[in-house]
Amino acid sequence: MSELSEYAFVATVAALSTAILLYLVNALGARSLRAFSLADGGSLATRSANGAYTTAGRYGTILAVNAFAFLTASLVFRTIASGHGPFANMYEFSLAFAWGALALYLYFELRYRLRILGLLVLPIALGLLVYATTVPSDITPLVPALQNDLLLTVHVAVAIIAYGAFTLAFGAAVLYLIQRRDSVRWLPRSTVLDEMGYKAVMVGFPMMALVVILGALWADIAWGTYWSWDPKETASLVTWLIYGGYLHARVLRGWRGQRSAMLLILGFAATLFTYFGNLFFGGLHSYG
Amino acid sequence: METQGVRAVDGAEALAAPPSASRARPSGHLWELDVLGRVWRFFTSVRMALVLILILTAAVLAGTLLDQAPPSVIADPASYEQWLERARARYGFWTDILNFLQLFNIFHTLWFKLIIGLLTTNIIICSINRWKGIKTTVFGARVRMSETFFQHARYNASLAAAMPMTTAAERVRRALALSHYRVRTETDGSSVAIYADRNRFSRFGTFLSHLSIVLILAGTVVGGVLGFKDPEFIVAEGATREVGMGTDLSVKLEHFTDEYWLEGPPKDFRSELVIYENGQEVKRGMIRVNSPMSYKGVRFHQAFFGQTAVMNVTDTSDALIFDEAVPLAWQTREGSRPVGSFDLSGQNRTVYVIGPTSGENDPLIPAGEMRVEVYRRDTGSLVAAENVSQGTPKAIGDLNVDFVRESRFTGLQVVKDPGVNIIWVASALMVLGLAMLFYFPHRRMWALCKALPDGKAEVRLGMTAQRDVSLTDEFKRLRERVGLALGIRPDGGRTAGGGDDV
Ligand code: HEM
Repeated sequence: MSELSEYAFVATVAALSTAILLYLVNALGARSLRAFSLADGGSLATRSANGAYTTAGRYGTILAVNAFAFLTASLVFRTIASGHGPFANMYEFSLAFAWGALALYLYFELRYRLRILGLLVLPIALGLLVYATTVPSDITPLVPALQNDLLLTVHVAVAIIAYGAFTLAFGAAVLYLIQRRDSVRWLPRSTVLDEMGYKAVMVGFPMMALVVILGALWADIAWGTYWSWDPKETASLVTWLIYGGYLHARVLRGWRGQRSAMLLILGFAATLFTYFGNLFFGGLHSYG
Repeated sequence: METQGVRAVDGAEALAAPPSASRARPSGHLWELDVLGRVWRFFTSVRMALVLILILTAAVLAGTLLDQAPPSVIADPASYEQWLERARARYGFWTDILNFLQLFNIFHTLWFKLIIGLLTTNIIICSINRWKGIKTTVFGARVRMSETFFQHARYNASLAAAMPMTTAAERVRRALALSHYRVRTETDGSSVAIYADRNRFSRFGTFLSHLSIVLILAGTVVGGVLGFKDPEFIVAEGATREVGMGTDLSVKLEHFTDEYWLEGPPKDFRSELVIYENGQEVKRGMIRVNSPMSYKGVRFHQAFFGQTAVMNVTDTSDALIFDEAVPLAWQTREGSRPVGSFDLSGQNRTVYVIGPTSGENDPLIPAGEMRVEVYRRDTGSLVAAENVSQGTPKAIGDLNVDFVRESRFTGLQVVKDPGVNIIWVASALMVLGLAMLFYFPHRRMWALCKALPDGKAEVRLGMTAQRDVSLTDEFKRLRERVGLALGIRPDGGRTAGGGDDV
């Protein structure tokens, strides 16, 4: 089983890398298409360029979906092999994070028919997978504190969705900053990007609340303390508060655009800090 | 006079509330004296909330990056001094400055609590402030909107219906109801006004999530005032210990077991406990890391464990003055050896028992021996020190000491926290509130059916942006449904303006 999981992992990396290339071709194709049609006022050539560019995009999506399926398989095989959800070490959690980013991204792509975010989110997912290859991937037995399957599985599953959503919001924010004067032809309008960021936070914010709460519940059962200002739980609370600040600034003070995008980038930095925190600090979560 | 500011804020109509409603100024010319109003406005300020959250973020960042002294260390000035000395090795020159700023104990300082207190006040006042607006939106929304509303609504459309006004209105109503909207109508001679909405209670989500934060803080206060926590409750195998803290409970450890995976890491720790209330056995059971035991609100959690030395001490007249397991629950600073101690008050002696460094060959204390150091209790000066091998009593100063055997102790966290239930209820409210708000957002649509002179009708539709989420899809869907109900093909009909196509 763990061998199958590794094969599926390799397949994921291959499919994802190819998907990224195709997304790139798609975006660049869109650019040359726009440039061409501007110069030429639209012609037969334009239409065929158009075709090539959407074809690349379509295959890109198919490959991204495949990568997602392989990654799912890899996680499932690993779960079967280890007998517990992917939460025992950094390797498993990196895969899970990448899975979340892909899942949320594909959901948004299908829902809003917008491929451009993939240009940022897919490489981030690939980065996580590459990072996973640098940490020990042995199946480790669970220390007593982690032997609470149901609670932990839900805790981690929800965290994955939240992190995925925040990754998406980050992608939208970065593209927004590139596009803020609507000067880049091959990117969607800045208002669209701004709003994508907001929508992603709408998905992620309640999930992150649940992550913090389930973490507290688990700590209460395992240690008798629902909150001990452990670095990891504190970092996740702060991450949540930053996105809370983003929502309030937006709804109550009308923050849009650049300032709002900066908050999303700060939030994603906090997300990464929460995630990689184990590397910087000790604490109760330091088994990762 | 003093309430002017409050009213100005409260009166903000929810429907079209400008984002800056909370910054409304009182119109009275005595505004300089409007103290309550000013304080109120100060606390409704979102800028303040943002600043507080940023300060919290910075504090928390510092708290995670700097070593934090454990509460037990803080409680005891002497051990805090020691702790600081060790911190000095790491932070050098900065140690005193950091200590002065209380940055080694951020989460328990007054200023940290002050910020949390301010944020809570902030939240309470903001919620009260918005209550009226939310209530109006949920229960008292206007059904009839003006012509200009339909012209300027972010999403709007105008459809021509080849039927009388009342028929058209009825069909619009049905179409909206079939889309799971709740529909209200108001009719006058020449037009029917329609208001339809869905998930309107989602508006209370904001209120629920704010309320839950206040409740969570209340829960921590209740726990702090009415509860207690003993994170280092140590019981040796076979021994019984009183819980204290105002309870009549005591705990006996029957047996402790630890198991390991073949690969080495720990697999299971479990303690078999008996609980006595006023000396009567009331409960017995096994606890492990993820399954604590609880009796009358007092919970016993498995926290740590270790080794004990069963010691046996007689005095010069051969009377047995000590016979107990001594938990070696601490570590010596040099050599990291497990160490424990006990007092012999009658003899004015404190006895330290030090075990060999685990897992290595200890040059000072061979396996099977304990080093016993006897100190004067009043002055702390050393009387005598010897190694004692198991089963061979030895005279140390005026005491005769025997190391009988080794056994185990369990380290429990004993907690009573009546606030914790409030916290879980509040957490559920928080998740419920947020889910309502973001996964079931409130949607509102207005329509106006006007009779035209030729006996036909004109139907206008208008939807305002909900916060700022694009409603393009939703509006398109509704417009098509209404259009079909009025006999207009999906691609027919005039549609105007509005919206981003995302
Ligand atoms: C950590 C604390 C807080 C949390 C978790 C929280 C949560 C929320 C959420 C989720 C929303 C809805 C945002 C949206 O619709 O996009 C909201 C709105 C709002 N919050 Fe907070 N909030 C907090 C603190 C505060 C504070 C301190 C204030 C006062 C300055 C405040 C005032 C408001 C107001 C006035 C609204 C808009 C209500 C409405 O439009 O109906 N909140 N809050």
